[in-house]
Amino acid sequence: MNLPGDPAAWRHTYGHLVASLVRRMGADHLADIEDAVQSALLVALERWRDAPPDDPVAWLYRVAHRKVLEGLRTRARRGRILERRPGPEPAAPENPPLAEELGDDLLRMLFVGCDPDLPPATQVVLVCKTLCGFSTAEVAARLHLSTANVHKRLQRARARLREAPLHLDHVVGARDRLPAVQQVLYLLFTEGYLSLHASEAIRQELCDEALRLTRLLGAHKVGRGPETEALLALMCLHRARLAGRTDGFGGLLLLEEQDRSRWDPALLGEGMVHLAASASGERFGRYHAEARIAAAHGLSPSFDATPWQDIADTYALLERLAPSPLHTLNRALAVAELNGAEAGLAVLEGLAPPSWLSGSYAWCAVRADLHRRAHHPEEADRLRALALDLAPTDAVRTLLARRLSPVSAPLG
Amino acid sequence: MATFLCLQRSLPTGDDASAEPMSPAQMQEMYAAFGAWQQRFADQLVDLGGKVGDGTVVATTDGPFVEVKELVGGYMVVEADTLEGAIEVASACPGLVRPGSGVEILAIHRP
Repeated sequence: MNLPGDPAAWRHTYGHLVASLVRRMGADHLADIEDAVQSALLVALERWRDAPPDDPVAWLYRVAHRKVLEGLRTRARRGRILERRPGPEPAAPENPPLAEELGDDLLRMLFVGCDPDLPPATQVVLVCKTLCGFSTAEVAARLHLSTANVHKRLQRARARLREAPLHLDHVVGARDRLPAVQQVLYLLFTEGYLSLHASEAIRQELCDEALRLTRLLGAHKVGRGPETEALLALMCLHRARLAGRTDGFGGLLLLEEQDRSRWDPALLGEGMVHLAASASGERFGRYHAEARIAAAHGLSPSFDATPWQDIADTYALLERLAPSPLHTLNRALAVAELNGAEAGLAVLEGLAPPSWLSGSYAWCAVRADLHRRAHHPEEADRLRALALDLAPTDAVRTLLARRLSPVSAPLG
Repeated sequence: MATFLCLQRSLPTGDDASAEPMSPAQMQEMYAAFGAWQQRFADQLVDLGGKVGDGTVVATTDGPFVEVKELVGGYMVVEADTLEGAIEVASACPGLVRPGSGVEILAIHRP
């Protein structure tokens, strides 16, 4: 592994080291382990300027391992003086983990972090911090949380892992945690894919982290299965299109404006292999449905060739699997492409959106668009103004202004 | 009726470079196969197909059992009158049959 100069490699090494040490020393020492790995990396930055060691990861492991032990011993001595009781000392082999153990270690840590007693958002924060190696500030920026909020979530998570450390030897057998693990990876991915973050690089980075960990999950017996395959399919198929979603100047492009030749054929192919592999067993889950929709878009040679019927049908299935007004909203758009704007509006008829949706730009923008296309100028203009007002970023506002041109203007 | 175990196996491809990029036609075919599979769930979302029963596999036909753990990607148990019938069922399942993989079909003898 070549470290110097590659920030992603440093982050991943951080994740590897934390996962390996947690496996050997216990999740209850997570905070100490993270501190030790952090300072080992800092020492390395200082010392490796001239010549990095032959095996950088082994070197880092030994330094971090020693630091954790030193910290624990100091605390144990202090504890004995104050409370007159002997402190426990975790035994851990000095030897750095073998390369082939790293994947296992990372997966174990993933399963440890996906503790059902922690809210999903906290699980995502923990994974970003411990496995992806983002700093607290970086996690905050990527997940749209305040640094204080991230800090608080991490503290809670570490406390939880301290009070209820999962027996690591059993984790890999703990398939009942698999849905939670899949959900965290899914959230990490969608955070990157749908993020409002202005930087395309940062969005890709989150998607790639999610894809990296999900590939690991899919390659291991604990995570292998139709649901994971479907999750991999939807990630590959969406990731393949990510580069085409922006105009190169930070602006967002509508689906129909995207240059499909910029989509990544290798990732599309990989996604299709996973999609085929997911079509097995007796369960059709939301990842299956979302992967199918991603495939429908990803394989269409043009916007006009989009199989809207498939997409509308699959959204209808998704509505039953995981009821959400967002799925209804998406289905309305597909139906509008299929049978016209009035038909799309009919889908939304009687839908009383919850407040988080009714106050969002998406809800207003979709209806503004449908009313515009159905030639209801007054309603369209009213909703357009609302949508522009609610747009969370300039990129989204620019996109909406283009799409929802005032009704007096000719249809685009 | 006999019971057959269909094991999905990765086929050796020689080297990775032989993995050609998939053609749009191949992808469309896989997309259609998935759609056909999904269709089964359109009306009923649960209880499709047979579950692997509690019966223990006590014996299988002779065969090259190559590192099941590493190579077997998926499995399915089917009931059919003949081996040919089992092959037909397995061939129709896109989760088992796909580029780079093959299906090994073994008769399961129950005590």
